[in-house]
Amino acid sequence: MTDSPSGGANPLSAVLDARDVSRSFGDKQVLSGVDLEVGAGRISALLGPNGAGKTTFLRILTGLLLAEGGHVTVAGIDVGQNPMAARRHIGFFPSADRTFYNRISGLENLAFFGRMYGIGRQEALARARKRLVDVGLSDAVEQRVGLYSHGMQKRLSMARALLMDPPVLVIDEATDGLDPEGARRVQDLTRSIAAEGTAVVWTTQRLDEIRGFADAVTVLDQGRTTFQGTVEDLMLKSSARGYLLRLRTADATLDDDALAQAAAALGDRGKLARVGADREHFRLDLADHAVLGEVLADLSTTGVVVLDCAQQRSELEESFLRLTTART
Amino acid sequence: MTGRRSGALAEAFKLGAFFRRDLLVRLSYRGAIVSDWINLFAQALVFSFVSKLVHPIHINGGGRTSYIAFVTVGIAVAGFMAVGLARLVSAIQQEQSLGTLESLMVTPTTASVVLLGSVIYDLIYVPFRTVIFLIIVSLVFNVSFAASGYIPALLILATFIPFVWGLGSIASAGVLTFRRGSGAIGFLAFALTFTSGAYFPLALFPSWVAPLASINPIGIAITGMRAQLIGGAGWHEALVTIAKLVPLSGITLLLGLYAFRLAMRRERRLGTLGLY
Repeated sequence: MTDSPSGGANPLSAVLDARDVSRSFGDKQVLSGVDLEVGAGRISALLGPNGAGKTTFLRILTGLLLAEGGHVTVAGIDVGQNPMAARRHIGFFPSADRTFYNRISGLENLAFFGRMYGIGRQEALARARKRLVDVGLSDAVEQRVGLYSHGMQKRLSMARALLMDPPVLVIDEATDGLDPEGARRVQDLTRSIAAEGTAVVWTTQRLDEIRGFADAVTVLDQGRTTFQGTVEDLMLKSSARGYLLRLRTADATLDDDALAQAAAALGDRGKLARVGADREHFRLDLADHAVLGEVLADLSTTGVVVLDCAQQRSELEESFLRLTTART
Repeated sequence: MTGRRSGALAEAFKLGAFFRRDLLVRLSYRGAIVSDWINLFAQALVFSFVSKLVHPIHINGGGRTSYIAFVTVGIAVAGFMAVGLARLVSAIQQEQSLGTLESLMVTPTTASVVLLGSVIYDLIYVPFRTVIFLIIVSLVFNVSFAASGYIPALLILATFIPFVWGLGSIASAGVLTFRRGSGAIGFLAFALTFTSGAYFPLALFPSWVAPLASINPIGIAITGMRAQLIGGAGWHEALVTIAKLVPLSGITLLLGLYAFRLAMRRERRLGTLGLY
């Protein structure tokens, strides 16, 4: 066993291997030399702002779109050369909401897609029932998909992606629009699937969900890889120097004189400014050389009581913004 | 991943799944099934009244054939063509607009099977609908068809199916590429049907229509089926009709499959398969 969050199996054997993948649409270069390697049992998160090229990259991984440069192999099969064979080894969870036949039941939908892999109806039904239970839809087996909620359709998508026990699972924004409980359920399921040896590519816009979940992270921006490493490595990229403080004096809110005194105590280590109209909340922007603990201690010497101190953004969010918006 | 069949057999077995899927979908729209049959009989009823105005002397057969018998075969084949074509085109369009086409294309299923599978229900249901229509009209309107002509007429209809499928595939490829075009397809179907002599004897048309009808597969099928069902023309004439239809149907089908494959390849290249 590894110490990966997913607890996955041997990570050394790359089940999914994308090398130098490039793609353009007309004059617009959408992907430039993107690499991704995912071993068995590993969860690899793919992050990027809207338009970064994530979905295009996923479509190339699944053979829906042809790459112009580079190549992708799944379980050793070249997706561009032999898409049919490669698709047998990929489970795909699309981000789109409506990818099922609304007039028939969840069970019939899954059985239909199962049969597209060449299995008989009885086996397709058995697999469909099992996966519907796995994703918590056992009560809605015979219900028409058109009557499913958004969250139920997402779980049905997951059931379909897992239907054939693929060695590679490609998941496009599975938790988008889900409530926290629904998102946690999908993540737990993905983690358990990875623990059984499935290589997972997980795209998301929710940065905090990758902490303790993904083994590796790739950040795309404008079609290029701007970061590749672990979640911890990504967090180290953070400068995270903005804080939200709640300050008072011993018996009142800070008036302008008290604020000026506190700001003076900071010197060149940062700036303190009022936030909102309640006279209790302040934004503290620290200079690179400043130490937060020392700054807070010095504020206390001016008679200010620090009631609360919170980072304005998480390290992940800060890193993500540094790796993306700085380029756009 | 156990229990998989391999190769062409596996692909053929998938058609059963498509048929079941579409049967369940259609059964969920019971009102549409009922209204389809009501429309069909309303059409036959209108022509039965028109038939009273048309003297049999104007109909091919030298006065021995009633207009209702003449037009019923035309309605059956033209209806077969129109419904089949419309459903062939809308099948892929629907898959695309529902967002299910991409979901299908990430499975190991060939584009040809997706195309055939999307219309397999109609390829079976529409001929069945045509035959049932002919039988019921013959009973309700007292139209007598030659019993010996049923089997040859069915064979002619069967030979005509690949033509409709091929034309539908070309139309599907057009819709897949341009996202629109069902109006143009409807006009083409109307032009082919109108000049085939489905509703009126060719003798009533300008003289240049008759040569066109003789190479129009709809015209060939309708004329052939009328000869069997009304005239009891026999096997020799049926085989002549089938011999004319086979190459036309075969070429149209091959062109249709090729066009559809090209359209799918283009969509994959551009990455626009899921866009509608």
